[in-house]
Amino acid sequence: MNKNAFKVLIIDDEEAMRDACLQVLRKDGYQSGAASDGPSGLDRARDWKPDVALVDLKMPGMGGLEVLPKLKEIDPDIIPIVITGYATIDAAVEAMKQGAYDFLPKPFSPDQLRLTISRAIEKRAFVLENEKLRREKRLMEENFITMVSHQMRSPLAAVSQYLEALLAGSAGELGEQQRSAIQKSRDRLETSTAMINEWLSMARMNRGDMLARIGSVDLPTLIGELVTFYRQVAEKKQVALALVPQGALPPAAGDRDLLREVFSNLIVNAINYNREGGSVTASIRSEPPSLIVEIRDTGIGIDSQHLPFIFDEFYRVKRTDGVKAEGTGLGLAIVRKIVKLHEGSVSVASTPGQGSTFTVVLPASSG
Amino acid sequence: MSKKTPKIMIIDDDPDFIEAVSMILKSATYDVASVSSPKLVGEALAREKPDLILLDIMMDSLFDGFSLCNDIKTSPDYAAFHATPIIFVSAVKELTGSRFDLHEEGEGFKGPEAYLDKPVKPKELLKKIEELLPK
Repeated sequence: MNKNAFKVLIIDDEEAMRDACLQVLRKDGYQSGAASDGPSGLDRARDWKPDVALVDLKMPGMGGLEVLPKLKEIDPDIIPIVITGYATIDAAVEAMKQGAYDFLPKPFSPDQLRLTISRAIEKRAFVLENEKLRREKRLMEENFITMVSHQMRSPLAAVSQYLEALLAGSAGELGEQQRSAIQKSRDRLETSTAMINEWLSMARMNRGDMLARIGSVDLPTLIGELVTFYRQVAEKKQVALALVPQGALPPAAGDRDLLREVFSNLIVNAINYNREGGSVTASIRSEPPSLIVEIRDTGIGIDSQHLPFIFDEFYRVKRTDGVKAEGTGLGLAIVRKIVKLHEGSVSVASTPGQGSTFTVVLPASSG
Repeated sequence: MSKKTPKIMIIDDDPDFIEAVSMILKSATYDVASVSSPKLVGEALAREKPDLILLDIMMDSLFDGFSLCNDIKTSPDYAAFHATPIIFVSAVKELTGSRFDLHEEGEGFKGPEAYLDKPVKPKELLKKIEELLPK
């Protein structure tokens, strides 16, 4: 390992201690620096970005236990080691709790210092390497996902484009049978494309991105918009779609676009798996610290043997009413994934022949 | 005197897409020209002098369509075509995960006049073209 590439910062109020450590570290080839109290040590850490910090627990003003969490704020991957004159178990435990990687009881020999530092550096190198690999993997995944999406969708798009041209009569008038066959082919391709899109959007969603996107979402507004948007579709199937009015509610902690996808999936399902003259009712209530949304339908219901699996990818319940199932088999899997990313939950209760109720529990926004 | 038939240029690296869309445009009595490599665009534009351009966003490299659009709209090399309407066409609605918005011309980027999903619906395509071509 190239010691020259690593920086060690010593934060200690005793000048003799700082000098002794600096001497050993420099001789060993590390880049090293020192600060004589907590605040200046933190400034130095911010500017100089050390890999390892040696922190004296007992300093006037800001003590080591106060310095440790602040160091972690500056660089969560920094490796802190505490130096302590009173090597009690309690002090060590407390320091470890504050994120110290190791501790050196005073007085220590140059060899002890070397050993502890080299272990810390190894740890740091490991952490950095790990982080680098994770980043590379993520980039590769993103790029891979983008490439796959392009490669898979392009041929489908080209085929669909020919079919669209034929259906538009661009190559001459079509007979009824020809038109019907081409239309069906086009519809199947559309489903297939939708499936690829959904699969990819699911592959893209990950926890890191999710946390960055969390905001406050007003659920009555969001669901109200969806209810208005899907009302026409519902009416075509002679299904009544409504949102039960409610009093003021706290906003949910989440991402508006992703939550829209959750509720639009649930509402569309509730409409599609309904019956003529049936209804879909959305309701929202607050049960601190959560918000609870229910989408209740009066549809065909789900047999209990299927219930444990309906949130699985590509799991399809065979319809017994002879209607061909639409969709991609991914809708509920996406719902579950998004809700989980929000640290919420989704569940279903159903009575065959009477209908189903999907319940989504989301955390209320604290901010 | 009748105006000359408007000419539409399709820029796409997929020859099947070019052929299928050509069928639609020709049957709607437009003249059609095409080019399948972004490198040949300059030449083709100068030769064909199209009235409108259909441009695939994702060709050889991910953002070719974007930069090409910006070039056509702003570069002195394409001075004769700065006002030529461009319709973006792509099978990819979301690029690298971020939805992009046509109305946001961030960082000086000159965007297209319209955007259509692949496969394009013939009716939508013809309607857009009609809207964009000066009568």
